[in-house]
Amino acid sequence: MNIVVCAKQVPDTAAEKRLSSDGTLDRSNDADQILNPLDEYGTEAALKLVEANGGEVTILMVGPKSATETLRKKALPMGADKAIQVTDEALHGSDAVATAYALAQALKQVEGFDLVILGSESTDARGSLVPSALSEFTGLPGLTFAKSIEVDGNVVRIQREGDKGFETVEAEMPAIVSVVKGINEPRYPSFKGIMAAKNKPLDEKDAAGAGIDTSMVGLANSKSKVGEWKERPPKEAGTIVEDDGEAFAKLADWLEENKLL
Amino acid sequence: MIRDSVAGICRSYGRTWFQELYKADKRSTELWENLGENGFIGLNIPEEYGGGGLGIFEICIVCEEAAAAGTPLLLLVVSAAINATLISKFGSPEQKQEFLPPLAAGRSIMAFAITEPDAGSNSHQIATTATRDGDIYRLNGRKTFISGVDEADWILVVARTGVDDKGKAMLSIFVVDAEMPGLEKTVIETAIPSPEKQWMLFFDDAEVPATRLIGNEHEGLRAVFLGLNPERITGAAMGLGLARYALDKAAQYCREREVWGVPIGMHQGVSHPLAERKIELELAKLMTQKAATLYDQDLPCGEEANMAKFAAAEASINSVDQAMQALGGNGMTIEYGLADLWPMARLMRTAPVSREMILNFVAQHSLGLPKSY
Repeated sequence: MNIVVCAKQVPDTAAEKRLSSDGTLDRSNDADQILNPLDEYGTEAALKLVEANGGEVTILMVGPKSATETLRKKALPMGADKAIQVTDEALHGSDAVATAYALAQALKQVEGFDLVILGSESTDARGSLVPSALSEFTGLPGLTFAKSIEVDGNVVRIQREGDKGFETVEAEMPAIVSVVKGINEPRYPSFKGIMAAKNKPLDEKDAAGAGIDTSMVGLANSKSKVGEWKERPPKEAGTIVEDDGEAFAKLADWLEENKLL
Repeated sequence: MIRDSVAGICRSYGRTWFQELYKADKRSTELWENLGENGFIGLNIPEEYGGGGLGIFEICIVCEEAAAAGTPLLLLVVSAAINATLISKFGSPEQKQEFLPPLAAGRSIMAFAITEPDAGSNSHQIATTATRDGDIYRLNGRKTFISGVDEADWILVVARTGVDDKGKAMLSIFVVDAEMPGLEKTVIETAIPSPEKQWMLFFDDAEVPATRLIGNEHEGLRAVFLGLNPERITGAAMGLGLARYALDKAAQYCREREVWGVPIGMHQGVSHPLAERKIELELAKLMTQKAATLYDQDLPCGEEANMAKFAAAEASINSVDQAMQALGGNGMTIEYGLADLWPMARLMRTAPVSREMILNFVAQHSLGLPKSY
């Protein structure tokens, strides 16, 4: 089976994030650029499926020129067979829907894939919109928030994580699947993986090369606009529960009120 | 990238895992095998024998990162740095084929037995004998402070095979099975909390096939000396990792721990000593990398390897000690994993070559002062 993993380059999750004057994420700071951690889970899921069933894993990344480094240093060393990178100034600032359109167009040029796997969100934008929007654009069934994936003949079946448990959902392939954190434990690149990654095929395309209509993408053509925004309020002091023998009940109430139970 | 993967793998086990091992008298085999499967134990073994075809520089990264994750692996210095180097340089094609692939894959470990009760720093005093008897050698004698014998499939033994015209011992090296008739092993209790144990070995007419002689008979001393620089350099790298672990812990603690409303790291009495340790560490690292680079280019590196080992050992002891001070009472807890790291850091000043022997070397060879022993 052939799997495409849509992956994104994001600023190091631990780095401080700021908004620019236009309300979009300020990417001008010198935070390390990394593979979106949720896409590591996606890549691992794809590698496991291919190891069990045969086939190839292709990473598809829409991003700036520097994304090449993330592909060569992380996604390919983990074991993906090849990568497609779509880089074009016109794509800069695309929102989730525009990004999903761009990915859908690029996917049209990939022959014979059975699954498209994505992380359920990126740690910079955290919209969780791209997988569903990609399903709309491609017309393929979308199975989101998978905490497990299994393939059975021509059917892909997932356990879809929800607030109160999980649902088992299945679809005929080809299909789109987004995965949640904890679906697996992403591997660290092995020495062989690191060495092999240097020479794996990496197909770089611009928007036109990927069949993307530039009037559909970019900051100006994105349908979502940042209206108002403000900085996160400073952290407030927490609630201190004195243990008078009943603290356990108060803690349980607090957890319930905050929907943590 | 090698560094990131090794660090990631070692951290996925972590300090607490390591502590549970030594408390339960278990071994760190799982981490060793994981690193091996991913190709990181055999980085310095030639590619044709399943290794990475790189050098001591790269195996230093593995030593450093394992220690920096709080999971120091002493046997990397022994099995990967000394023994794999000696077999690669002096082994016959058959011996390389037998020993190197399992070592490279992390499936096997080879311990290194040179030190004796009456021959520590002075290898010329080695009293263990190997006597040729037809197709075999008979080994007789004692070895002490041999690391990880219980985890090893083989032991590389340095033994005396004769005496030259001037009455000096002529040495040879052999690979013996870790389990063999005529070999008894006794654990030496030490105060180093680690899954890797120290052993005393007793050879009593232990029979070793002559095919297990590595290199030429009587020419073992040259081989041993060739293995000692990788030992010092990777030992230094391990010290650097211990220092990093300690400084990382201390820095994190001093950013978060608040007394009288400010993080304690704001006080220069706390921050400056840690900053000084950081400088020591980085300087020691530079010398370690210099020594490794020279070694990998087949250039003389005795002076650099000695200096690196000296500097890294001191940086390691000072960093762990200062970190313990910064953490106050927590510095003594098992939870923060510093006090139980101190004996390992302190070991670095003694082994594989003592601080005093290095100072002798530098005084004599670097400064041209009279030989002191």
